[in-house]
Amino acid sequence: MLHYIIKRLLLMIPTLLGVAVLIFVLMRVVPGDVVEARYLTQGSQFLSQDLMNIERKKLGLDQPIWKQFTSWMGGLARLDFGLSMWTGAPITEEIKLRFELSLQLAIMATVVATLLAIPLGIIAAVKQDTWVDYAVRIFSIAGLAMPSFWLGILMILAMLILFKWLPPMVYTPFWVNPWENLAQLIWPALAVGYRYSAVATRMMRSAMLEVLREDYIRTARAKGLWLKLILTRHALKNAMLPVITVIGLEFAFLMGGLVVTEQVFNLNGLGMLFVEAISHRDYTLTQALVLIVASVFIFVNFLTDIAYAWLDPRIRYR
Amino acid sequence: MAASKETLEGLAQAESPRARWLQAVLDFTWQRPLGAIGAVIIVVMVLVALTAHWLAPFEALATDYGAMLAAPSAQHWLGTDAYGRDVYSRMIFGSRTALIVGLGASFIGATLGALIGVASAYFGGRIDLIVQRIMDVLISFPLIILALAVVAILGTGLENVILAIAIPMIPRCARVVRSSALAVREMPYVDAARAAGFRDSRIVLRHMLPNVMAPYLIMLTAFLGQAILLEASLSFLGLGVQEPVAAWGLMLRGAAVEFAETAPWMAFFPGLAISLAVFAFNLFGDSLRDALDPRLRTQ
Repeated sequence: MLHYIIKRLLLMIPTLLGVAVLIFVLMRVVPGDVVEARYLTQGSQFLSQDLMNIERKKLGLDQPIWKQFTSWMGGLARLDFGLSMWTGAPITEEIKLRFELSLQLAIMATVVATLLAIPLGIIAAVKQDTWVDYAVRIFSIAGLAMPSFWLGILMILAMLILFKWLPPMVYTPFWVNPWENLAQLIWPALAVGYRYSAVATRMMRSAMLEVLREDYIRTARAKGLWLKLILTRHALKNAMLPVITVIGLEFAFLMGGLVVTEQVFNLNGLGMLFVEAISHRDYTLTQALVLIVASVFIFVNFLTDIAYAWLDPRIRYR
Repeated sequence: MAASKETLEGLAQAESPRARWLQAVLDFTWQRPLGAIGAVIIVVMVLVALTAHWLAPFEALATDYGAMLAAPSAQHWLGTDAYGRDVYSRMIFGSRTALIVGLGASFIGATLGALIGVASAYFGGRIDLIVQRIMDVLISFPLIILALAVVAILGTGLENVILAIAIPMIPRCARVVRSSALAVREMPYVDAARAAGFRDSRIVLRHMLPNVMAPYLIMLTAFLGQAILLEASLSFLGLGVQEPVAAWGLMLRGAAVEFAETAPWMAFFPGLAISLAVFAFNLFGDSLRDALDPRLRTQ
């Protein structure tokens, strides 16, 4: 097992390196750079080439590409993301508060999704092909179909029209005022959690259906074991594996992929930061963000694989 | 399995090709009513998109500054937007954008993905290893982030949006198709083709690709709904299709949110159209997946 874990950890390095190279090249293929972007937003009439070159020199953009790459890699090796090209502030500072928000939202959405998905998936599987099953399936397919940003707009609209109340639009960290914080984040968590639960419900249902056909379930039933006990003790445990994978992968996606929902709820999370960074051509910040999001994704992937091997001894890990 | 077996028997009994098709469609409808409902909605949507010019009471770009933000009425069934454009007509024309982007992106994404997956499985060894690592790298970008990066490079507009959505789908399809292709590669007929001295490209395209049709079709239909959703998201962010083109995601942007309280129809109906379209494609895709291969699970 230990051997397997180490091997999987080592395999993460080339993938991350690939991500780093790809985003580094991608950013430099995008037309324009941070200096141009800044002059454009200032609406400056005097686009002096000399002045822009001085700015570029300050940011190290005049150096050859490979040198820029090695100095970035050198910084990363020292766990130093460098400075944002747009604001000049350390990137760790820029990301810190946004990361906190994105992480909290992702956790809350995961809780919402899990609470919905596991019972619904089990019920649908047990009552397969009855109206209960159809209702659950329609509910979950609808969740996949509704854009969560639209659901967000509808929720805000409903609160505004029905209760004449709007959730707070300015982020308060949880440790400053938990009530205020939850009053703001519960709505996006619900909007996102519903979509997320749909993916997990479907997986729960199909995994459960598969397990329920296994011989040991029939044996348990033939023994006259109580259905509830069969479901929780025998079936659920074995059906949870793929569900855990889906939940894990979706969680990783939530960390950076909530661009649109964040916009609707006026949340300054990692997704919004990413859009800003790209439109500012802020190379260093974009690279750092992509690397962080990809690391979370790869790491969660790794964790689910480990969970697989741990929960199901039949999986051979080499 | 039972279901597909019955379908196969049904196929064998039918005589002419047309009767065979009809039989398959009837079986599908009978065994998977939800999928049939999805298919019906899709057909209606395609018809609406094709006949938009006759169906829509107004042109997509026709502005009426006398009736800005007008509530639903006999003249404007679903109200008007901030430029006085008819929401109902724009929704009808928007179905074209959704279908073009949805079909275009998922076809390109799934086809390139399938080709890469099959080739990777066929050549195996070092090529397979390298291709799979590249796919791993691409998959670790969240879908929307990769799409955003592609839009930033190529710029906005219909064709670029299609590409931006197709590219993140390639590695996802490649991975699924590769795992099926690995089994196909071990089949005697592939060995026979190789022994007969066929070129690699011919074996990949003529012998292996047709045999991974089931996972290919499953991925393709699964992508359709996602592509429509992604197009709506990109357009909503202002990074997809650009004004004044009629697109559902675009209709939800800007004024629709600003005036949501006084003119909620602007935000409500286009979102409903997106949901219905994606809903239909998902229903159909799901049932198709069950019918083609109940054991193959994709997300």
